[in-house]
This record gives sequence, C-alpha cells and structure tokens, in this order.
Amino acid sequence: MAAGLVAYSDVASDRLPAVVGGVGTAGGALMAFALATRWRTVFPFGIALVGASYAVFVAVRNGAVDGRAPAVAAALFAAAELGYWSLERSPSRSEGAVVLRRVAGLVGAAAVTALLGSLVLLLATGASGGVGLEAAGVAAAVISVAVIARLASRASV
Amino acid sequence: MTPKLGAYAGLAAVALFAALATRRPELVVVAAPFALVAALGLLLARRPSIDAEVELGVERTIEGDEVDLRLTLVADVGAERVEALLQLPRQLVVLGGDNPLQLRLADGERRELRYRLQCARWGAFRVGHVYLRTHDWFGFFQRELVVDRRVPLKVYPSEENVRNLLQPLETQVFAGNHVARQKGEGIEFADLRPFVPGDRIRHVNWRASARRGELWINEHHAERNADVVILLDSFAEARRGDRSTLDPALRAAGTLAARYLRQKDRVGFVTFGGILNWLLPTTGAVQLYRIVDAMLDTQIVLSYAWRDVVTVPRRTLPPQALVLALTPLLDDRSESALLDLRGRGFDLVVIEISPLSLLPRPTGDAGDLADRLLRLRREAVRGRFERAGIPVAVWGDETSLAAALEEVSAYRRRARAASV
Repeated sequence: MAAGLVAYSDVASDRLPAVVGGVGTAGGALMAFALATRWRTVFPFGIALVGASYAVFVAVRNGAVDGRAPAVAAALFAAAELGYWSLERSPSRSEGAVVLRRVAGLVGAAAVTALLGSLVLLLATGASGGVGLEAAGVAAAVISVAVIARLASRASV
Repeated sequence: MTPKLGAYAGLAAVALFAALATRRPELVVVAAPFALVAALGLLLARRPSIDAEVELGVERTIEGDEVDLRLTLVADVGAERVEALLQLPRQLVVLGGDNPLQLRLADGERRELRYRLQCARWGAFRVGHVYLRTHDWFGFFQRELVVDRRVPLKVYPSEENVRNLLQPLETQVFAGNHVARQKGEGIEFADLRPFVPGDRIRHVNWRASARRGELWINEHHAERNADVVILLDSFAEARRGDRSTLDPALRAAGTLAARYLRQKDRVGFVTFGGILNWLLPTTGAVQLYRIVDAMLDTQIVLSYAWRDVVTVPRRTLPPQALVLALTPLLDDRSESALLDLRGRGFDLVVIEISPLSLLPRPTGDAGDLADRLLRLRREAVRGRFERAGIPVAVWGDETSLAAALEEVSAYRRRARAASV
C-alpha cells in the first residue's frame, strides 16, 4: 500500500520526481526494516517519510488541488494500521469475531477517511482563504503539539 | 498507553504544520485520519474491569489422565480485545482450547473458556493464575491484569502392574490375608494332631482317623495381616529432562501401598533424605490418601546432614515389619542407613531404581572408564547388601516392577531353603 502511494507520487510528479521517489523509497525501506526487525520505534518514521514524499509531490506541484488526496490519506492510514497490527507481538490466537471486527473497523476507518478527506478538499477549494481559516489551521497544529506534549508527560510519569 | 498514540499524534502534527507551511489542503486530508483517531482514542479511553473464575472438573486425578478446566471471564467494563492467558505448570499440557486466546468482551458480558488438560506428571498443583491484557479499539491503551483464582489439583502417580506382592517373613496379630507360621483358624493346612476334648467336629480328619482308629484333627495356619513400611530414599535422584528416578519410585510406592492396604495390611511411609517425613503404619483407604498426599510433597532436597535411622521415630518402623526400600543407590548415607536397618533385624528388601538409563552416553576413554567405574561401584554396593542378607532387585527401563518383585521373592525362597 505504501509502495503504491510512493509510486503514485513519483509517477504523477511533474517536478523533482527523483526527490519524491527517493524520500518515498527511503520511507518504504524504513517501514520494511521496522516490520522485519519488529522495531516499533522506527515504524512511524517510515510512515512519516512516505507521507513526506507525498508532501513534496503536492508542494512542488503546479496548479490545482490533487483530487486523489483522500485516497492517498486512506491508503497511508490503512498502511499504518496494518503495519502496527503486524508489529503486535502476541502469541494469542484471535477469535474469528475479533479479527472480523478489526478488519471491518479498518475498512470503515479508511472509508470515513476518504469521505472526510473529500469533504475537506471540497471546503478548501470552495473557500477563499483568509485569516479565519489560517487561524483554524494554526489552532489545529498547536492542539496536536499540545496533545503530544501531554502524552509525553503522561508517559514519563 | 502504547507508542502508537504518540506516533499518530506526531504524524498528524507534522502533516498539519506542513500543510500550513506549503498552504496545501491535501496535507490536511492526510493528517486528518491520524488526528481524528488519536482524539477519539483519548476521548473513548476507559479502564476495563474484568474478573475471572476458575473451576476444575476434578480435584484429584491420576498421572496421564485428562482434566476439564473452565475459565469464566466476567466483564463489568469490557474491552475491544482481551488476551487471556491461563498460567499452567509444565506438567499440565493443554490438549483442547486455545491458551492464550484473544477475544472481545462487551460490558457486562460473561464468557466461558473451556480447556482440556493432560496431567503429564504427578504432583500437587494450584491452577488458576490468569493473566489478562486488554486493548482499546485503536490499540492506544493496553492494560494488564493478573487474577489469582487458583484451585488445587492433585495428580497422583499412575500405578504399576504388579501380580504378586512380597510376602513378609513375620505377620502381626490381626486378621489378614497372609498365611502365618502360627497355627490357628485358617484355610491353609498345617498339621495333624490327636483329638482333645473341645476340638470342633468340623476339624476332624476322617480319613486319618479311620486309618489310625482314633480321632485326628486338622490344624491350620492362621491368616494374619502384616506391617509394611515403604521407605523412600530422597537423599539424591538422577534426573534427565522430565525423567527422574523419583518418578518410578513414587509410582512403585503408590502401587505397593494400595495393594498392601487392599489386603488389610498396615502400611507406613517414610521419606528418608534431606527432609524426613513419615506416616505411622495403619490400615484403610484413608491411609492410602495420606500416603499419596505425602508422596506428592516428596522432593529431593540437597542436604549434607548425615541422617541415621535413629532419626526415624521408633513407632514408624514397628518390629517384624517388612521394610521395602525404594532407592536409586546414589548416596552413601542411604546405603549405610539400610545396612543399619538390616543390622537391627528388620525384614528389609531393596528395590533399586536404576539411574543408568538417565545417564548421558559416555564419550571418549575417560567417559567409558567413568561409566565402568560407576557400574562396578553399584555392583559392589549390591554385593554388600547381599552379604548382609538383603535382597536387591534392580528396576530399570528393561524390567517391570512385577519382575523385580518376583526376583526378590525368588531370592527369599532360595535363602530360606538354604538356611533350612
């Protein structure tokens, strides 16, 4: 899934395809390494690099908004979830119902991601921008950082 | 909390900042699922409350048998995924049922998990230590609980096939199944004697009386019980993996105790080694349970104390008792204690639990030499016992306990014939 995402970014990129491909390949390799060695700490960096390759692609892209962004978001999220699932070190046999609910949840989350993404894109392309939207973006980023800081403090306790 | 939550929040934050920096809404779309899932995970987080109950099909069973175990999980506050692990001793093998198992428990749900266990080895166990690990929907929070609901399970050693038991040289005063030397009420014919007033008519031997012209009476041997003491040498054992000389010794002790008690003998049990443990000889089914329970507590404890048979309480070894010693003959202290017992006049029989099959195959000249020395040393010990009039039967992989007992019976018959 992550490889498909990197391939899409690379193929669709009209500027700096080597950088997009390089960052994406590094991310994919890091994910594969983390999965092979079951190194949980490294795995999110791989996801981040794969996401970064897409970020480079959209940043250097000329013209309109990428309409496939919701599908890319759903694929990246599904890749992350599946990766974490395979990193779980559990000798337990799972009941069929548990696996089924988990798969259904993953598919549902990916579908909701695609739907919400389409909505966000629709709003973003329809909106004319302005200070309010800019402030909402900054607030979202700050809240994310605050959440991370809170989690880090909880973890240290 | 798992690192996944931090990773998702971090990915969302990085993507959102990148979106701001590049002014691209696509990156907001990429950040959205990670941010939403992290937020939902934090909002919906709660502490599960799960209890467990453990129930065993039986409390007592025999080595090799199967036992049903029911583990009931009761969730006041459930969890999306619960990993349940029932901790079991090595000697109990799961034949049916998944252990560990991952399942879902809704709020107020009660789930029964059934396991079929095979008791691979004897012992007294406490089963029911349950480890639970719960996960939330998103895998952000993980909690571990340990529920201790242990219940006792006693696995008795399996019985050996024994056809004939060893007959004690002396019997006691109570009625039993052994033919005593003394004359009295019984079935076995002993002698003829002239009639005296008071003799019962049913004891008249009419054929002898007709031949001799006067009344002659049949005399019989009395049928009495015997005192049997099973002496288990627990100074040392030979062990290789799961096999040990203690296992056959306990199987033999259990078998012999059950068989002697069945024929109304009084049976005692003495564990002679690092820890001294004894049961006074008595009869009945309760005594069998006492002996078997005492056997389950038997373990080899390393000790340098030089124990003598004087440390065994006097009533534990009643006079004229048949003492059956089960020993691997690995410790000098047990050897000298047994010779001491014989010196005190006890009717002693040694059943040697051969440790040779548990020894590693000798390698090289030094190994061969060591192996030969060991065998010679054991021969010498056996020779010392035989010179003291103690019959020794070797019970190993190649022979059965029944064959070993037959060997001792034959030795005793020959010895009696020689002494006459």
